[in-house]
Amino acid sequence: MLSILIWLPLIGAIFVGFYPNLTAARTAALAIASATLLITLSLFFKFDPTTSGMQMEEYLPWINEIGLSYRLGVDGLSLPLLALNSFLTWIVIYGSKADIQRSRLYYALILVVSSVVAGAFVAQNLLLFILFYELELIPIYLMIAIWGGEKRTYAAMKFLIYTAISGLLILLGFFAITWLSGSSGFDYNINLEAIASIPLPTQVIILTVLLIGFGIKTPLVPLHTWLPDVYVEASPSVAILLGGVLAKLGTYGLVRFCLQLLPDAWSQLSPVLGIIATISVLYGALTAIAQTDIKRMVAYSSIGHMGYVLLACAAGTKLSLIGAVGQMVSHGLILAALFYLVGVIETKVGTRDLNALNGLLNPIRGLPLTSTLLIIGGMASAGIPGLVGFIAEFLVFQGSFTVFPILTLLCIIASGLTAVYFVILLNRTCFGKLDNATAYYPKVTWTEHTPALILVALIFFLGIQPSWLLRWSEPTTNAMVASLMIDAPSNSKIIVLSYPEAKVNQVLLP
Amino acid sequence: MNFSQILFESAWLIPCYPLVGAITSVIWFPAITRLSGPRPSGYVNAITTLLAFLHGVIALSASWSQPPLQLSFKWLQVADLNLTCPIEISSLTIAATVLITGLNFLAQFYAIGYMEMDWGWARFFALLALFEAGMCALVLCNSLFFSYIILEILTLGTYLLVGLWFNQPLVVTGARDAFLTKRVGDLVLLMGVVALLPLAGTWDFDQLALWAQNSNVDPNVITLVSLALIAGPMGKCAQFPLHLWLDEAMEAPLPSTILRASVVVPAGAWILIKLEPILSLSSFAMSFMVVIGSISAVGGALIAMAQIDVKRALSYLVSSYMGLIFIAVGTAQVESGLLLILTYAVAIALLFMSVGTVFWNSITQNLTQLSGLWSRRPMSGLAFLAGAAGLCAFPPLGGFWALLKLCNGLWSDNPVLVGLVLIVNGLTAFSLTRVFCLIFGGNPKEMAQRSPEVNQFMMLPAMTLMGFVLHLPLILQSLDFLPQWVNLNKDVALLLIWSTIFGISISSVIYLGKSIPKPVQFPLKGLQDLLANDFYTPKIYRQTVVFTVAVISQIAFWIDRYIFDGLGNLFGLLTIFSGEVLKYSTFGKTQAYLLTTVIGIAVILAMNI
Repeated sequence: MLSILIWLPLIGAIFVGFYPNLTAARTAALAIASATLLITLSLFFKFDPTTSGMQMEEYLPWINEIGLSYRLGVDGLSLPLLALNSFLTWIVIYGSKADIQRSRLYYALILVVSSVVAGAFVAQNLLLFILFYELELIPIYLMIAIWGGEKRTYAAMKFLIYTAISGLLILLGFFAITWLSGSSGFDYNINLEAIASIPLPTQVIILTVLLIGFGIKTPLVPLHTWLPDVYVEASPSVAILLGGVLAKLGTYGLVRFCLQLLPDAWSQLSPVLGIIATISVLYGALTAIAQTDIKRMVAYSSIGHMGYVLLACAAGTKLSLIGAVGQMVSHGLILAALFYLVGVIETKVGTRDLNALNGLLNPIRGLPLTSTLLIIGGMASAGIPGLVGFIAEFLVFQGSFTVFPILTLLCIIASGLTAVYFVILLNRTCFGKLDNATAYYPKVTWTEHTPALILVALIFFLGIQPSWLLRWSEPTTNAMVASLMIDAPSNSKIIVLSYPEAKVNQVLLP
Repeated sequence: MNFSQILFESAWLIPCYPLVGAITSVIWFPAITRLSGPRPSGYVNAITTLLAFLHGVIALSASWSQPPLQLSFKWLQVADLNLTCPIEISSLTIAATVLITGLNFLAQFYAIGYMEMDWGWARFFALLALFEAGMCALVLCNSLFFSYIILEILTLGTYLLVGLWFNQPLVVTGARDAFLTKRVGDLVLLMGVVALLPLAGTWDFDQLALWAQNSNVDPNVITLVSLALIAGPMGKCAQFPLHLWLDEAMEAPLPSTILRASVVVPAGAWILIKLEPILSLSSFAMSFMVVIGSISAVGGALIAMAQIDVKRALSYLVSSYMGLIFIAVGTAQVESGLLLILTYAVAIALLFMSVGTVFWNSITQNLTQLSGLWSRRPMSGLAFLAGAAGLCAFPPLGGFWALLKLCNGLWSDNPVLVGLVLIVNGLTAFSLTRVFCLIFGGNPKEMAQRSPEVNQFMMLPAMTLMGFVLHLPLILQSLDFLPQWVNLNKDVALLLIWSTIFGISISSVIYLGKSIPKPVQFPLKGLQDLLANDFYTPKIYRQTVVFTVAVISQIAFWIDRYIFDGLGNLFGLLTIFSGEVLKYSTFGKTQAYLLTTVIGIAVILAMNI
């Protein structure tokens, strides 16, 4: 079952890429992406959300000599991210033009990315993960370099170098873990006790190496410097894949390998991680305020939102880890919506400059629906309740508060700064007076509206019914917390009480 | 089970009607508008509001003889956090929804006339309905967390509603400032909400009150939490120093202003009243509330006197009266606070309706350009008078009783605050009389030459509300809500009446009398400028908070560009540079390479020996 998620898009990519005289590349890719999405959704029915271990495992021995095996599985952490991957792939393919340059290569590469990322999320072997993690570089590099903006070669090279270094460090960390713990293979279910027996200082060093590796991918300040250039120069579709899905590989790695494999060292480093997270959050928000290019603004906002995930993981409470998973998915959806809408605005209006944009909410000559969706997307990112961004951020805050009171409060302040730059963005693009001379923009067709509409609908739905988002992960994250030993600071004056059961006379509603 | 009982038990449906209306309005965006015009969206919302109102009224009649009904909706159960939304259906909460939906219906009816020429109907009415649904849900829900959620959604609503006429630059900045100022309050409230759960273990107001009674929590912690909790209502109620947004929100269309001033702003006070049991744990927080309330009450009343924009002259009175409610809650007089909210809400709604009819067809809302409308607009004038009398302590109308009750409670412990209330009342009477004299008194000026009474869509709700304001004391009397005359301090009553008369008479002498040259100038030019410019608050904000954030963000961006990215690029440059340098070492002579190898081997051998 899980293999299909890897092989169907891959075979599809080969088909789309190499089938002679294929004219309808988009249609074919869309069909494959739809099938993958349906299979991913069917996983939710098969998945048992009450247990914490790996499910639907598959195993094939591959190269036993070096400990590489084809072992797949899915748990409450990877399932939502798998779904996000399949869904955003579908959105990206649907949202791309059929007559894009070199369309067959383009759609084939998207499918390859989808396949490889799914592989990374389901891999249960460290080497297999690295394999997928590194493979994903090639299609993304090509997509940035071929369909990117003006400085695309610079951006693509920057992305390649940074991510390659990230992969190298992660590989180093994995080797260290396996050899020092004396394990025979690279499977995830290697002996956790053996890892725990590595001396703590060594563990901390390994963790630091892994953290830098995944920190580049996520990205965390100060390892983020590739992100603005790459997100901005990439075409909107690639930016959605990068920010919506690939950045999640970084946070997934943080949870799966750093937190889960090295819980002792993680507990040791958690105050430092909390501080780095808070700096990321504040830094992302502040730099976003200074931007005049809306795409760059959204790109910087992404840095801040990834910081929340790290804060939650550093705090390591049951609530905060669920919040972290929720934040990964919600950030993926919201960022995809924002990048998509920014892309629509750029193609229709011809600029991304805040100083040139104006009054797009105008119902006759502007882009009213696009602007409305942009307002909702921006507000979701700023954490307005009723939208999915709020509940994830709130769980992060509430979960982290007992461990890091001050840092959490700083992050709440930063979420206010998020509102500042989104208000700047919305005020300049959607509000204001439309320029009479230039304002006859091409109409946005319904096909172009659809991806954003679906994303916004999902943002609304998961905001109102968050249990659909969160219930899959709870046993998994609880099990992770059980292995952690992060204490609330002893000098903190906050006394944690157990939550008493509601004593309200409950009347059943009709 | 009879009909009214069913409606009572299903009172949680009240917020759903306007919500349905708001969602329905989406179809008028914008495709159907070309076929049907925008007006049906307004009618749909007016009807759903009316349904909600009728539901509330019938449920209210059934609620008197019953204990409150507690319901709960399960929302989210995750890890050790159980988010269940408790709902309290009692005569108080239903009465509050009736007030909200009633005022909303009048405002929407009014908007049908007022927005006649507008094209943004669907958006406008949907947002009004969103507010209505939010407010009704707010009074019904009994949990701090869900109240916070609703307040935050309404903050977004304010942004969109103020930004309705987004073509105008002032509207855009107004919407921005309204959103950000309220958001500041909301986020500090969120900090309080997050911090409260580990302490109290619950967010339900009832259980919080229980917890507050028998908890021995660290006084410093609870003071900090209380201050954070106060910040939310401070932002909502436009208290100093977060009052700026209300002034800027006056750029929104007038019907939304009616609603904002009469019910949206008091929503913050409602939360404050609900939180009173916790806040009373910290005497510092209570004093803080009194201080903030006092500053806002006096400051707002003073600033209102110097405004030349009609809407702004009234809007600062909103801050001022909310300040009085802060004082009431800060001195643990919750009932006076609730009574004051009620009398204030209807009176201020009437005042805004009245001035709205004036500048709808007088084109201007500048007080210096209006005058002498009494002969042309007697009904608007009467409505204004009734609203003014209902707002300040003018017996026997509502404001008098509410302020009397408040002063009566303050008399024994805080006589200074009684003096403060008297001053605020006097100043309010003064500025309302000033507005009245400037609009309706004297001879008509240019802008007031052609200004007939307006159409029935605006007049009808104004007159209805006027009747309600005038009869409010009778209604309250019949429900036993008025304080008993025998229990009251007659001196306070007399003082209150005197302060009103004082304000009215001085103001009429100044603004109607012939002896003082018009336009009236304060003796001190500096003071007048200070008040007219709202104590220069916008400027102060621009030069402090806004400036700081802008500078810090520029610095952060600079660091990002030149330090972090610079470092990355430096590595790249170094690599290229070293490659460039090293390439000269490849000169292509085999003998030289061989020599290097031999020397290398020799060195290694030498080291091994």
